[in-house]
Amino acid sequence: MSMTSESTQSQNASFGGVQARAHAAMNAARISIRNLDFFYGDHRALKGIALDLPDRQVTGMIGPSGCGKSTLLRVLNRMYDLYPGQHATGEVMMDGDNIIDPKMDLNALRARIGMVFQKPTPFPMTIAENIAFGVKLHERLSKSAMEERIEWSLTRAALWGEVKDRLQTSAMGLSGGQQQRLCIARTIAVRPEVILLDEPTSALDPISTLKIEELIDELKHDFTIAIVTHNMQQAARCADQVAFFYLGEMVECAPAAQIFTSPKQKRTQEYVTGRFG
Amino acid sequence: MSASMTSGSVPGPAKDLKVARALGTRRHLTNTVVKALCIAATVLGLVLLGSILFTLIWRGAAGLSLTVFTHTTKPPGSNGGLLNAIVGTLIQTAAGTVIGTPIGLMVGTYLAEYGRNSPLANAVRFVSDVLLSAPSILIGLFVYEIAVEPFGGFSGIAGCIALAIIVIPIVVRTTEDMLRLITPALREAAIGLGAPKWKVIVLICYRAAMDGIVTGVLLAIARIAGETAPLLFTSLGNLNWSVSLKQPMASLPVTIYQYAGSAFDDWVQLAWVGALLITFGVLAINIAARLVLSRGK
Repeated sequence: MSMTSESTQSQNASFGGVQARAHAAMNAARISIRNLDFFYGDHRALKGIALDLPDRQVTGMIGPSGCGKSTLLRVLNRMYDLYPGQHATGEVMMDGDNIIDPKMDLNALRARIGMVFQKPTPFPMTIAENIAFGVKLHERLSKSAMEERIEWSLTRAALWGEVKDRLQTSAMGLSGGQQQRLCIARTIAVRPEVILLDEPTSALDPISTLKIEELIDELKHDFTIAIVTHNMQQAARCADQVAFFYLGEMVECAPAAQIFTSPKQKRTQEYVTGRFG
Repeated sequence: MSASMTSGSVPGPAKDLKVARALGTRRHLTNTVVKALCIAATVLGLVLLGSILFTLIWRGAAGLSLTVFTHTTKPPGSNGGLLNAIVGTLIQTAAGTVIGTPIGLMVGTYLAEYGRNSPLANAVRFVSDVLLSAPSILIGLFVYEIAVEPFGGFSGIAGCIALAIIVIPIVVRTTEDMLRLITPALREAAIGLGAPKWKVIVLICYRAAMDGIVTGVLLAIARIAGETAPLLFTSLGNLNWSVSLKQPMASLPVTIYQYAGSAFDDWVQLAWVGALLITFGVLAINIAARLVLSRGK
């Protein structure tokens, strides 16, 4: 057991390329959104969004249903491209590239920006194959390197201990909470720079939710994270900065403590105090 | 209305227990009548099916012997079997399935994953559905025109083509239906990892829809194994041993058709045996399809 954690730590260092670091109050922006508009057909669902996702910090996105927060996540990895009639205009800059540029290589983009969905979506194959599927899309690994990667990602997703003896059994047999952690493991196994979490705990019980929240806290050392949530306590617990969305606009973005205790905008205050939403 | 609400009383006249009881009695009566009709219909269906199976076993088992499987069809009175018909049916059913399944699978994939509701997809879907219910003798005549007449004679391969044409729309429909049942979330999850569309379809969607697609193929096999009409104009039937796809080829359904109407007792007996074999073969495939489907749940 101690062997495992030791080897995992050394892998963390090599895979993430970073040692433990002190979190500055505001890191440099990993993704920087300016003037972003999004359309479902003619309906303008996002209006002039401007937001920075600070490197290796957690950005929480809150707001009532239909306010555009999930839409924003789906812009960041271009998931909307699957559906004709949806399009975005503006700037979503990452490393000097505009993500919403039509010429963007989407498969490469999605290797850099991973996503975890509301409902667990295990693939109908074994636990090990679930992890290997994403990795094989972007890397050629030897069998032993793949096994190492599988162990690394499952350990980071706090699932290794529960599944290490059943890697070759179907992922469909896991519980809901385990399936969601498998999906997180599958996402980080590709070693993205950014992880998008779309209400990742809304289908889970409180214990599983707690585990995922602890996981997010741990993962932000290596990944930039954006999390959409309906649960304001969750946003307060997990996020470094919180953005409040309302009717397609970003009303306010501030450090989590400030959003929940002394928001600048009246609408934010009304929402976080439960006056509407 | 508002006055009665505020005073706390329920609007409308007071509840009459006699009326309530009468309504209850009527409901019970209706229930009993409809239930009796349903049971009668079920019993009728089961009795018909049971009597067919019973007659088949009764008449067919009497002629069942090793000779049936070791001898080919022979002139009346000379102790023939059904070997050539059994082998012919196996070959044509297998070839029809092997030709028709990939085409049906690809068309179904196109409809579910690429075409969706485009005009072309809607046209293809409509034609496929028409083909699904087209009388099979028309398919036989069609293949006669394209694969028998131009090549100067009946052949096993023409029979295979006719059966393949029957397989295609069945596989198209089940493949499309099963692929459409897969939640968009699963596709998005795979695409979110950076998988190109074809890998999502082949590695994820096919696997998720596997049981349903296999069931469709098994049902298609069961359907063509018993088809007579499309073979009458294509592989024709052959009283002698032949496994050449260029020659006319025997099959169980066609042999049953020829023998059952003959004046010779031993041929009629063999027709019963053939019917027994084909019925239980199809029954076995249907049961296999059910098992595959229930395994997925």
